[in-house]
Amino acid sequence: MKHIRIITVILGSLVGLSCTKLDEKLRDSISAESSTVTAAGLLQSAYESFNTPLQDQSRIWAASEHTTDEALGPTRGPDWDDNGVWRVLHAHTWNADHSFLRDTYRELLGVQFAASTVLTKSPNAQQAAEAKFLRALSTFYVLDNWDQVPFRDDLQNLTKLPTTLAGTAAADQIIKDLNEALPALPDGTPIRASKDAARALLMKVYLNRGVYANRAAPTFAGADMDQVIALADAILAKPNYALNTNYFHNFAPDNLSRSREMIFALENTVGVRGGNNRYFWFCGLHYNQRPSGWNGFCTLADFYDKFETADQRRGAAYPGVTNVTGLRVGFLEGQQFNENGTALKDRKGNNLAFTRKVALQETGNDLEVTGIRVMKYVPDFSQGVDGPAENEVVIFRLADVMLMKAEALLRKGNAAGALTIMNQLRAARGATALSSATLTNLLEERGREMYWEGWRRNDLIRFGRFLDPLPAAPGTTSTRSTKSGNERLLFPIPNQQLAVNPNLKQNPGY
Amino acid sequence: MTLQRFFKAMTVVVMLLASQVSFAQNKTVSGRVTDARDGSPVSGASVTAKGATVGTSTNADGFFSMSVPASVTTLVVSSVGFGTMELPAGENVSFALAAANGSNLNEVVVTGYGSARKKDLTGAVTSVKSKDFNQGVFASPDNLIQGKVAGVQVLNNSGAPGGAATIRIRGIGSIRSGNAPLIVVDGVPLSGGTAAPGNGTPLGGSPGENPLNFINPSDIASMDVLKDASATAIFGSRGANGVIMITTKKGQSGSPRIEFNTSVGVSSLLRRMDVLDGDEYRAALKSYGLTGGDFGANVDAIDAITRRGIQQNHNIAISGGNDNGRYRLSLGYLDQQGIIKESGFKKYSANLTSSYRFLESKRLGVDFNLMTAQTVNKLAPISNDAGFQGSLIGHALQWNPTHPLYQADGSIWVNNNLGATTVNPMAMLAAHNDVSNLTTILASISPSYKITNNLEYRMLYSVNYGVGDRKSEIRNWLNLTGNLGWAQSINNKSINQALNHTLTWTPKITDNLSLNAVVGYEYLKFDFRGNGMTGNRFVDYPGLNYWDYMGNVPPNDRSIYSFASPIAELQSYFARATFNWADRLLLTATMRADGSSKFGANNKYGYFPSVAAAWNITNESFLRNSKLISNLKLRASWGITGNQEFPSGTSIPVVGIGQGGNQNRVNFANPDIKWETNTMTNIGLDFGFADNRLTGSVDWFTRLTSDPLFQFDVTAPGPSEGRYWRNLPATIKNSGIELALNYAIIRNADMTWNISGNIAFLDNELNDLQGAYETGAISGQGLSGATAQRLVSGQPLNVWYLRQFEGIDKTTGQSIYTNGGNTLFYSGSPNPRQVYGFSTDFSWRKVFAILNFNGAAGHLIYNNTLNGVTPIGNLGTRNVASSLIGGAVKESISNPIAPSTRYLEKGNYLKLANATIGYRLGSLGKVFNNVTATLTGQNLLLFTNFSGFDPEVNVDKNVQGIPSFGIEYIPYPTARTILFGLNFAF
Repeated sequence: MKHIRIITVILGSLVGLSCTKLDEKLRDSISAESSTVTAAGLLQSAYESFNTPLQDQSRIWAASEHTTDEALGPTRGPDWDDNGVWRVLHAHTWNADHSFLRDTYRELLGVQFAASTVLTKSPNAQQAAEAKFLRALSTFYVLDNWDQVPFRDDLQNLTKLPTTLAGTAAADQIIKDLNEALPALPDGTPIRASKDAARALLMKVYLNRGVYANRAAPTFAGADMDQVIALADAILAKPNYALNTNYFHNFAPDNLSRSREMIFALENTVGVRGGNNRYFWFCGLHYNQRPSGWNGFCTLADFYDKFETADQRRGAAYPGVTNVTGLRVGFLEGQQFNENGTALKDRKGNNLAFTRKVALQETGNDLEVTGIRVMKYVPDFSQGVDGPAENEVVIFRLADVMLMKAEALLRKGNAAGALTIMNQLRAARGATALSSATLTNLLEERGREMYWEGWRRNDLIRFGRFLDPLPAAPGTTSTRSTKSGNERLLFPIPNQQLAVNPNLKQNPGY
Repeated sequence: MTLQRFFKAMTVVVMLLASQVSFAQNKTVSGRVTDARDGSPVSGASVTAKGATVGTSTNADGFFSMSVPASVTTLVVSSVGFGTMELPAGENVSFALAAANGSNLNEVVVTGYGSARKKDLTGAVTSVKSKDFNQGVFASPDNLIQGKVAGVQVLNNSGAPGGAATIRIRGIGSIRSGNAPLIVVDGVPLSGGTAAPGNGTPLGGSPGENPLNFINPSDIASMDVLKDASATAIFGSRGANGVIMITTKKGQSGSPRIEFNTSVGVSSLLRRMDVLDGDEYRAALKSYGLTGGDFGANVDAIDAITRRGIQQNHNIAISGGNDNGRYRLSLGYLDQQGIIKESGFKKYSANLTSSYRFLESKRLGVDFNLMTAQTVNKLAPISNDAGFQGSLIGHALQWNPTHPLYQADGSIWVNNNLGATTVNPMAMLAAHNDVSNLTTILASISPSYKITNNLEYRMLYSVNYGVGDRKSEIRNWLNLTGNLGWAQSINNKSINQALNHTLTWTPKITDNLSLNAVVGYEYLKFDFRGNGMTGNRFVDYPGLNYWDYMGNVPPNDRSIYSFASPIAELQSYFARATFNWADRLLLTATMRADGSSKFGANNKYGYFPSVAAAWNITNESFLRNSKLISNLKLRASWGITGNQEFPSGTSIPVVGIGQGGNQNRVNFANPDIKWETNTMTNIGLDFGFADNRLTGSVDWFTRLTSDPLFQFDVTAPGPSEGRYWRNLPATIKNSGIELALNYAIIRNADMTWNISGNIAFLDNELNDLQGAYETGAISGQGLSGATAQRLVSGQPLNVWYLRQFEGIDKTTGQSIYTNGGNTLFYSGSPNPRQVYGFSTDFSWRKVFAILNFNGAAGHLIYNNTLNGVTPIGNLGTRNVASSLIGGAVKESISNPIAPSTRYLEKGNYLKLANATIGYRLGSLGKVFNNVTATLTGQNLLLFTNFSGFDPEVNVDKNVQGIPSFGIEYIPYPTARTILFGLNFAF
């Protein structure tokens, strides 16, 4: 008995000491209840959540450009295979497991979430309006590319499934958000949401509303076109906008101060905000150029041939760049030189002369130099040739607004009004005047003005040309010679999301 | 206790002994103790001189030798599980100990919270004693049992000394929460982690360090592998992947005894992947009509970065004791020079185990264990996922063999003629320093009290303390893309505590029915925290390490962080009862209730039952007198275990604190999160024929994992970092058959020869998973974002999912793929269908030899090195694999490197993991006893068709934490080692 008493005492005291309720205590982070995050902080996060989906070469830009005649990422021997992700975009053979499309979809919806979260933290009127603009922009991209937009009302219980908005219903949600936001938005800097940014986005939505109703055979309602024209007029009435004398100021490292066309752009300030905006020049530059690039993307000769020789958008020397490393901006075709005028060579000793011909899968000994390269943005050398870049990434600018207005006028039958705007723009760019405005030459003009700015896919679909085989310029072969199926007008809903969200359905044809 | 004090204590003991030796009237007695049944040596048997106080114990090979007073005439030998035997004292006395029943059936096997005689087991448990361990120098204990246990696969993730290993018991049951077994050291369950910082460097993710490095393999007496649920369910939510019980050597009664073992050897590269030499390269350039790319020299970069590494391992142990207490103190020193220059691993370890009995009745006992180790790991510049920048092995393979590594003046040619992105591997070696220090202490105290003769209370309290620091740098002059001069300094600390109370009751209920019952309570606490800082843009001061002057870095190029994971706690209640009816029928039932702070509020406690039965058929009257069948036991078990290896802080909402006012939701609540459930059924047969000359067992099992844990992105729209853990509705089924055989070909006093082998046939399938998840990242320039494996229903875990390669087109030299490469196919499994091991040991008088083989078959390995590092397109600038040149079809230099089945290779291999020949010199003079000299070779032979460095490979290529398996990518190469060893005792 004595033993049992001893053991009871020992056991009792030790068990008593060690019993625990198994509660978890956070030590390096805080609980959701004690979070002191403010609407302002969340709004900043919401802006930043656009960084990856809108300014990484493998996100919405790739989806909007590589799928068209403006860009392709050829596989160059051992380089740029990347498991075929680039090739399938250009060849229109992507599937629902495509990693870039999958991540783009999730990240764009992440912006929607971040923006909606701002609205739950008692924002002031302007903060709420900015958040709604960001949400509308993210919704626009998802609608435009995938049609189905999962939408979360309840931000607290994330195990609850989001509802799905699609087609014109999603477009109406965007219009509603923007119209609610407009009064409280400021007339401020292009790197924050502003009244004109909201107007430009509204123009995109009205212009494409017919597309969202029927992508294969869109019709354009007069009322929608009237909206486009009215919104454009509201923007064009502002005296602070004007076409730049130098087209490339729009894309210069100091474009925020130098360009007068900026309406909405993503900020890139070292140490404050920004990301991988250097890809605009790194992706195409050869290893032996300065800065040493990735020797990847290029454009098609047929697209390049649409420019008149004197058109300044086709390419130019740019002070602070060309005289430093020999690089020009715009299109790079033929022999490349360094700053002293010495002809450059590729890694195998061939002349570094970018060729007009290019194939999706390069096989020759010249595979390092095929394809015309595109330098839309002006490299930022202010912190060294390889340094970080502060070019703001342009989303909406004046020329786009003008061309959208021209398109609305043309679609309403006012070809003369459209022609005036187009020639006004062409004059500023050093191109000769056109004699008439047609849907064909308006689409071409949009290509010349807006190339590599992420609008080509949207434009081609609206003009009914996205599925067409790609034309081959003389001496080249087509990089996509058959017409694509109607399913390619939309990207497939990523399998990753289908697996976890039964409210989504795979888009037809996938 | 410090090392210094240990040495002091040891010196005293040595002096005491020396003074004893000087007594003149002593004589030497020696001999060997073997098992009467099969002639196998009995290690650790106690040998005492009748009528005197001296004694010793036998070594691993059953030999003993000691000095006794001249008056002694009789020696008494005894050992656990055997009877006692007396023979006249003399030299070379052979004791053939009779076992009470069967050969090793009385051998004691360590089970959870207790131990059992092997014949009383109802579960699938394999015990490996130290005499059967693999031979050679090992940094950690997992290699000791490689190939020794049916159904257990041990893979070295890299050839680096001290590198992590992958241990899988009965396949892979978990998608996302780890497949490593629970390791229990002398009753203390480990956390499975390590405080050694595993942070990456600019070169990519670093291969991990082995969490068991702190254990000195020469201090281990046995490793018992618990495989089925009957054995593991007592470990509840941590038992699903099997359990390995490590038991350290303990002191024996008798006069103090000093054992010394030392081995010294040299390592060299086992095997290399073939690339072109200078002349072959020139010929290849010519055949492809390339004019550039020849720089005239003939260099071998792999030779240049490798060396012969000196291996040293010295261990000394002092042990002894009497009826009141026993102790064993050991010191170990391990110094492994890596075969890659500049790399290496050192370990200093000191262990003390002691056990005391108190009170007149000896009912009160206290056991102390203290295990300490300091490891210093110099890491080579090798990463798991080197991309565009490459890592050391990749750069050495790619190095143009016609371009000198050194300039004419003897300096390293850093900014070479091979283009801005080609790094000279010698420069990388010189510019990179990476040192990881880890100090580990595992201390435990375990008092026990025998309340009555069949009721014992025991408590165990332990602390496992680990402090790791890692300092790394890359000098600014290295032409690595983006390198500005970088350094990192990291400190991690873990403190894990375990407390348990057990009450063991072993009554005899009737003459024929006895019970062995255990009830217990256990509390575990895991605490992990760390901090680090990183700097870029250093000014280079030669001779100093960047990490020592971090303040040099401009403010914008500094970053700091710290973390402290929520403390994880487990609180458990468990019970086990084994009924034994006349040694014929055995019935075991276990139950554990596990509460974990990590589980969600709605699932705080999990319950893990098991039942098992065994029938000792040999003890039935109809077999009792059989000459042929000496043992036959049928076992069957069923039970449930769990896996809870997900991070703490998973069930609750967490907001991370960032710079300034930044706060980010980093985790979303899941109050339902719980353990992963494993349901296992096992049926086994143990047998022994012809007087137990042939013994073995066969086991059939199925293991079904349900509610597997998985980390999800929140269903979009959700926050960018917003991920949460949940239990998936999927299942994973592992099933298989295991066979182990042991045959004593010769067993007599002069000669013994045993062979043993084991093989497991394994099958694995994932079912009911919604959607598919990619993993198995394929790395290298031009391979961004590529993956090769998938988790998908109806396929094995990590099934290969690739384009199907059909050959090279004769005319274009381009790869041909099924359906133009636009379709990916399920292309086989990386998981071996067969895992096997084979050993033989031979002993003739004083000579002995041991061979240990292991291998695997029926799986495919992805050669990412061939795919991403040495493709044909390198020709003209960098080197290419020899296998690509001179084939029947000439591959075009522009052929892209799309991941495909082209790079899948059969992983079948058989390795002579180690071979030893030895000679027992017996006593040398009056001082040295039991002298044994050995010559051991590790990794002597490798039979495989795999073209990479080593088919025994598992580079970590996870994607978003989903583990990969079976990908080879420029790993630290495996070494072949030749060692000379010497053991003796005082």
